[in-house]
Parts: sequence; structure tokens; C-alpha cells
Amino acid sequence: PHIVNVFRDAQRTTASHRKLVVSLRKVQEACCYEPTSNKKSSIGDFEEDEFNLEFTRCVLRVMPVKKSESVGEKTVRFIGLFLRYAIEKDNEYLGEEDQDASTMPETPSMRLTNYLMETVLPLLQSKDKFVRYRSTQLISHIINSLDAIDDDLFQKLRQGLLKRIRDKEAMVRSQAVLGLGRLAGNQIEGAGDTEGSDEDASSGLLEKLLEVLQNDPSADVRRSLLVNLPILPNTLPYLLERARDQDAMTRRAVYARLLPALGDFRHLSLNMREKLLRWGLRDRDENVRKAAGRLFRERWIEDCAGIPEMTEDGKALEIAEPSMDGLLELLERIDVVNSGVENGVAIEAMKGFWEGRPDYREFVTFDDAFWQTLSAEAVFLARSYNDFCRNDGSGNYLGLVEEKLPEVTKLGFYLEAYIKALIETIKRNEANDNGGEEEEEEDTVEQEFIVEQLLHIALTLDYSDEVGRRKMFALLRQSLSIPELPDEITKLTVNVLRDICAPDIAGEREFCSVVLEAVADVHDTIVDDDPVDDPEESFHSARSEISGDSTPTKNGRGKSKEPELSEEEARAKALKEILINLKCLNIVQCMLTNVGGNLKENESLVSMLNNLVVPAVRSHETPVRERGLVCLGLCALLDRSLAEENLTLFIHFYAKGHSALQITALQILTDILNVHGAQLLSGNPTLLKVYIKALRSGSKNPEVQAAATTAVCKLLLGRAVTDPEACADLLRTLVVSYFDPISSENQGVRQALNYFLPVFCYSRLENQDLMRSIALDTLHSLYNIREGLEEEDVDTDDMITLAAIGACLVDWTDPRKCFIPGLPLDAEKKKDVNGDVHLDLLMDILSKLRGNVNKEEKKAIVSLFSKLYISPSSSEEKMNEAYDDISSAVEEKLLTDVTGRNAILKIHTALGKIHNSLQEAAEG
Amino acid sequence: KPTAPARTRKEKEPFQIDFMSPLDGSAADVIFTHASSNSNISLPKKDWRSKTRNLLPDDKHFNSKQLLSLFLKPKAKMGRKMALGRGVFGNTNQPEGDIQPGDMDEAFWAQQKAPLGGGENGAIPQGDYDA
Repeated sequence: PHIVNVFRDAQRTTASHRKLVVSLRKVQEACCYEPTSNKKSSIGDFEEDEFNLEFTRCVLRVMPVKKSESVGEKTVRFIGLFLRYAIEKDNEYLGEEDQDASTMPETPSMRLTNYLMETVLPLLQSKDKFVRYRSTQLISHIINSLDAIDDDLFQKLRQGLLKRIRDKEAMVRSQAVLGLGRLAGNQIEGAGDTEGSDEDASSGLLEKLLEVLQNDPSADVRRSLLVNLPILPNTLPYLLERARDQDAMTRRAVYARLLPALGDFRHLSLNMREKLLRWGLRDRDENVRKAAGRLFRERWIEDCAGIPEMTEDGKALEIAEPSMDGLLELLERIDVVNSGVENGVAIEAMKGFWEGRPDYREFVTFDDAFWQTLSAEAVFLARSYNDFCRNDGSGNYLGLVEEKLPEVTKLGFYLEAYIKALIETIKRNEANDNGGEEEEEEDTVEQEFIVEQLLHIALTLDYSDEVGRRKMFALLRQSLSIPELPDEITKLTVNVLRDICAPDIAGEREFCSVVLEAVADVHDTIVDDDPVDDPEESFHSARSEISGDSTPTKNGRGKSKEPELSEEEARAKALKEILINLKCLNIVQCMLTNVGGNLKENESLVSMLNNLVVPAVRSHETPVRERGLVCLGLCALLDRSLAEENLTLFIHFYAKGHSALQITALQILTDILNVHGAQLLSGNPTLLKVYIKALRSGSKNPEVQAAATTAVCKLLLGRAVTDPEACADLLRTLVVSYFDPISSENQGVRQALNYFLPVFCYSRLENQDLMRSIALDTLHSLYNIREGLEEEDVDTDDMITLAAIGACLVDWTDPRKCFIPGLPLDAEKKKDVNGDVHLDLLMDILSKLRGNVNKEEKKAIVSLFSKLYISPSSSEEKMNEAYDDISSAVEEKLLTDVTGRNAILKIHTALGKIHNSLQEAAEG
Repeated sequence: KPTAPARTRKEKEPFQIDFMSPLDGSAADVIFTHASSNSNISLPKKDWRSKTRNLLPDDKHFNSKQLLSLFLKPKAKMGRKMALGRGVFGNTNQPEGDIQPGDMDEAFWAQQKAPLGGGENGAIPQGDYDA
């Protein structure tokens, strides 16, 4: 009777569980350890049985409780808590002598547990899903509450639960894996001192669970395994793999639970750290991103910054003090030289770090000594700090920049020193030539990285201070003339130079002429003689030497002076020429990316085009030619007639090039169309063919297909193509490739179209109508593709059904979903929208059905009828037209099968109603 | 099996397990009736394996913002007039502009102007160089 009361109270709130456990224990003790010695032997057993019976009876009462009722879970927790407590107490009574005995002592509470489990075990096979759920939950919970379990019982529980990992109900499976996860962990621990058979059994269990982790259709089950499986060298890869799980909450659990529990992240491989960070910080789900950010700035930093004291349950007692060394080590551990480059994940990671760690924000200092002994990690620290403070929308941290970072002039001097050191290293390496010792190489990489980061800082500075501006300008101009300057540094240098020059037209001219001076300097180094002093002059002379058909050279003079070059020397010289030419083109390309003015109005650009770019495009050296092509493309963006003249050339490069070159050509063509307008496309049918062909290149060349898809999306969304025929052709090809199984694996195509198709259709009525106009054609093409697959006996499972494709098409043309200025995007609220587009689609369908259609295709088309939205606010004219059309379809018995007839009749009625009310309104 | 006098009655709101009152036969049936066969309560075998291992496909990080800029000049935004003379130096540097990819829905595109260069002769290519 008292037991019943305890259970009644226990289901209400977990807060009183402690108290209730103690009081229930008193009852149990009273039953099992009756002090009146004369009774103990005789009645004791009987009373214990009675207690166990009543206890179990109450537990059974919990079994049918639905999952949604919280009382069930509370009671289960109470049961676990009680058993744990009771067993502990029993063991205390037993005294210490039996504690480390290998066999489990038989105590009243053990007997209770065994009895209870034996009673509940059969319920695992219950017909009722909630009974299965609760019994599984209880067993798993008890397994997790207790330290040790009787061996026989253990085997039975394991068998019982193993069956439940294949339960029909996800809720049951996810409880089953909770218990088994623990069992798997226990067995592994004990594997050393048990015999072989047990070991096999345990690894078998673990294997099964890992299989479930990968394959269970329910994310809850996978997630519950993820946080309950033991973390072991052989489970870890499977656990970490869940960072890419389809389910966002499971991915989040990797970052919020698994990885923090894992201990020191430095035990992970460098590769894995980078991947985890990248996946997490760039996840499509915001909560995953947040969890990953927190992991990085709260856990990983602590692993480096100092041993925060751990309490026994694994919680940090307090956050470690900010530590510069710790932060630098953290950056080293994520390999910042590689992850800190453009598009590298370290940039995002540190942005989040500064955001979330005000203590570090205040703590860091960058003194002279810091700048004089920069490492890759240190410079990245400063760069990311600078970026964060300047880009934070609030502007609250601009003061920190002022306070902690050096001014322009000073930075200029540091930059100068590091560029100098870099160039020296490069030259020394070149001199050693084959002495490509790895250490040296690594050295160069780090030095390059340092210079790049400093230039990134330079990109953000305020150049209104004249002294600083001049210092930086002179330094950059000078560096740009060094042929050995690595390409990435060249790019950044040019960008900073553009920034230092005024943003207006005059500034752009200044910028161009100073960069071209540097190009001339670089070019001059082809001559072995001393470079000519006046760069301007040398550039002119370079020009005059260039003949149309060879690489631009200016060494006619040099050659004539030393006609006796050995073959090897000549080859070396030729190679050097190529390299220098490439460098010049590289600088020019970086410059052109920053130029927006009209080409013909800038004389230095015109001469650069004629003397450097055009010859390069005609060069016999492939790399020179290809880089020249990009430069020519950039020039074409600045001049319409140049673009027109060279359209054929770019198309030629597409037709003849390897796939990377094809992509470049497509991008150039697309940029040209975007800048100079669509007439270029309408006037050039070959160009349209290029796009169509590229869009269809999926089986041969997935990358080209992906690039073409992005390009065409850009053209259509940006309305750079206007010709309706061309638009229809392009859109049709896009939709077909969206559903074509050939491109189903091409994520570049799929992800672009996932975004593009709905946004395109829903942004303008014209677009929706365009989609409508191609819908049935497209469906037919896809029908053919499907037929083709069947003929070749290919599995059509990978392709979605025609009916589903049709549903997409109807959905994209749904007039309620189209954006209308001033109305909310919610389709439900737009019932009164003009629905002509679906009326037109209806008529398209009818006319298609009147033609010759295959049975399969017909079935898919008929299924569209019920999905059309017939809006009462469509235009009257269209309404009449559609009504007449459908009426005659009914009369002429267009469809004879039951489904078809019903579908037509239904839509006929719907239209009829609106049609009649329109008539009445007109008459009345 | 024991637990002879099992009885329970469910009450409506707020649900409580009644550990005291008697239980009718049907509730006992619910608890003790076994499934007629194992397959009735199990996952169909075809669902035991997942082709994709329930993993996301390789993420290409398609960023809708890339549709706003030129391929060759990623910093130049399309569809905007040339903004020469706007902003000074690096302080206006907002590399990502103020548009978030999440904002680029159909409404965003509906409000985009048609590009320049339509009919105008020698249209100036647009540039917007912040960095």
C-alpha cells in the first residue's frame, strides 16, 4: 500500500525523487531485513517476495503509457534511481570484504532487479507499440543506471534489445540502442579479461550498432546512438561521419555533444580537424554552425590554452585565462598556413572566435616585438583581429584597431621587411635549384603567407594620411616590378594599389599607368643586360619588337649580341621568356579585374592590349595563350566592339579547349553578355548552341555542365537574355537536366538549380509563363529519357516519376506562388490572384491530349488536372476561352477511361461555376 | 506469471497513472498480448540499409550571391550603375556587400532592375569596387 503511494508521487515530479527513494528503501528494508531476529528467517523471505511483487506490479502499470505522457518517463527514471540506490545500500550492508569478489553477491535488491527484468523482458515482443516502447525504455534505463548486472540476465537483456533495433517503430529502436550502446561499451572494457567468445559477441554487437548508426532511417535513432556509443578508435570514424548526416540535429549533436565529450581535439588528425571545422562552420543549418563555432572558441582553445581543471563528471571548473601561446597553438593546430588562405575555413573560425571571446579581444596585444618576429600563426591572428574589428557592423571595435594595430607607415615598413626576406629566400632557392630541401620550401610558404596576410591588412587601411600613403605606394610599386613575386601576392598588391589611388576616373588612370610601368620593368628582365632605366621607354621599345605571331619578346637585341648560345642555354632562355610573359599577363589580369572605365579612353590600356595581350592570345605556348585569353576577355568587358569582334574567338576556345579552358570561355562569354547586353546572343546563333551544348555535357564533362548551369542561371535571372526563343531553349534544357538521372549526381548542377528554378519562376509572371510554355515539351523529353533507360534495362529507380516531375512543373507555374509587389509571399493569402497561367497550361494539356500521346505519358499528364489552380480572378477572356476548350473536350469525349473522364469533368465543373458567375455578373 | 491483481484505469487530463485502482481485462491484454509474428513489429528488411548512409551529398556551397557578380571580376556587381566616386579607400570595405544570400528570394529578384547595356550604345560596364 505504501509502495503504491510512492509510485503515485513519483510520477508527478522528479524533484521529490530523492526523498521518495529513501522512503521506499525503508519499506524494502523493513521487508527484507526485519530486525526481530526470530521472525527474520521464517517470514523474511515471504515479505521480500511480497515487496517485489508489489513493486513489479506498479512497474507494469507504466507499460501501456503513451510516449507523449511525461509521467511515464518520470516513473521510469524513478525506478532506475531506486534500484541503483537500493543496490548500493545492500552492498554497504554486505561490508567491504565482499566488494571485490568476482562473483556478484546475491542481495535483496539484486533479486528484485532480476525478478523485475524477467517480468518485463517478454513485453519486448508485445503487440502494442507503447508497451514495447516502455519496456525497452525501462530496460535500457536500468542498464544505464546500474554498474553491474548478473551474467545470465545480461545475456537475456542483450538478446531482447537486439531484436528491438529492428523494431518497426523508431521510438522503440531509439530506446533499444540506448541500452545496447552501454552494453557495447561495457563489453569492450571487459574484453581483456574474458574469453574469446565474449569478445566476438561484443564486437558483433558493436558492428550491428555501427550499421544501425549508418543505415537507420530515423534520425532520432542515429542521434541517440551517436551520443551513446562508446568512443573508441574503431567507432570514432563512424561517429565523426555523422557530421555530414542528413539530419541537422544529428549534425549538431556531433559538434555540441560528441566532440566536446571526446577530450583533447589534438588527438584528431590534422585532416579531420580541418574537415570538421569546415563542415561545421559552413553547414547549411544555423544551429550546426553555432555549435561548431562554440566548439572552436570554447573547447578547442581550452585544449591549447591551458589545462582547465576538470571535475569528475568532465565539466570544466572554470575557463582558462586567455593565453597568447594557446591561441597561437590553436592556429597552428588547424594548420593556418593552409586553412587561412582565401576561402579557407580559418577565416570564419577566427571571426567567430573574436565575436564570442571578449576576454581575448581585450587581452591580445601586438607590440613591436610581435611584428618583428611574425610567424604564420601570429600574422593571421593580427589579420583576423583587424578584419573582425573593422567589419563588425556595430563599429564598436574600431577603437580597438586604433589602439592595438600599427598605423600605415609602420605597417609599410614591416611589409617591406617581410617582402625583402621572401624575395631573398626565393632567389636563394632558385640559385640552389635542385637543392629543393623541404625545409626551405616550407620556409617560403610561410613567408609568402606572412606577406599575404600583411597585404590583407593593408587592404583595409585608411590612406588619407599622406606620409603613410606615399610609403605604401612606393613600396608596392617597387615590389610589383619583381618578377619573382608570387601570383597571389601580386594580386593582393595590385588590389591595394587600386585602393590607394583615388576611386574616380583619374585615380583609375593613375593606377593603370603605375601598374603598367611595373609590367614593363618585369618585361625588361628578359634581357640579360642591365634593365633600361626608363621603364616607359623600354615598354615602348618592347612594343615595336613584337610581331603578330610569336610571344611578345623584346630580346632581338640580346639575341643579336650573343648569337652563339648553346642549345641548353637557348632552351633556358626560352623558358625564362615564357615565365616572364606569364608574369606580365598575371599582373595585367589582376589590374584589369580592378578596372571599370572605357578601354578606348585609356591609351595605356589600348597599347597594353595590342602589345601584350593580343600577341599572347596568338602565342604557341599554351599557358601564355590561355592567360592571354582571360586578359582579352577582361578587355572585352571594357569595350563593346572588342567583345563583338572576339566573340568567335572565345567560342573557338570553347569548341577546341580542354574542360578548364571551356569553363573559362563560358565564363568570359557570360560576363560579356551580362555587361554588353543580349543583342550579342540574338545576333549569334552559334553562341546559343554553345550554351545548350555545354548544358548537356553532363555525361562527358560534369564540371563544364555545372559551370554552364551557373552561367545560364545568371543570364536568365539577370535578364541578360531577352529573346523569348533563346530563353525557352535555355530553360527547357535546364529543366531537363534537373530531372535527368545523368546529372543527379552532379551536385554543382543540382544545387544551383534547386535555388534557381523556384526563384526564377516565382519572381516574375513572364518567367512563370515561360516555364508554362515549355512544360509539356519538357515532360515529353523526360518521358523519352525514361523510355531510353528502360530499353537499355537501366534501373529507373534513380529517376523520379513523370507524375512527380509534372507536379513540380505545375507547382512552379502556380499563380499563387508568384511574387506580386505589395503582397506577402504566403500562397494561402493570394487566392484572388490572376490565374491565367494555369488556364493556359490547362489548354496546353488539352491540346497535347488531342494529339498522339503514349499511354504512360498520358497518365502523367492527366494527373496534372487535379493540381491546377483555377482562380476566380483570372481574366474573363481567358476564362471563356478555357471553358469553351474544356467543354468541347467533354463533348468530344477526349478521354474515355474512368480516371481521365472524372478528372476532366471535375475541372469542367470548377470552371463552369466561375464561368457562370461571370456570365451572371455581366448580365446582371 | 505473477502480478495477479493488476488493475489500472486511465483518467483524462492531466494524465496520471493510477497505481491503486483495479484493472480491467483489456488493459492486461494490452500489456501481455504478444505480437503474432516478429515481422509484424519489425522494420522491413529493405529499410535496413540506406544507399546514402544517410549522409548529405557533397556540399558545393552554391551561393546565390555569385549570381550577382561577374565571373572574371567578382568584386564588380552587375545591374548597378557604375559607382565611381563612391566611398573612399578601404574603410568602406564591406567585402560581402549588405545582401545576405538568405534574402535573395523571389521578391529580391522581382525587384532587380534589368541590366544595363540593353539598347544604349557603348554602355559602360558596371563596377563597384569597394576593396
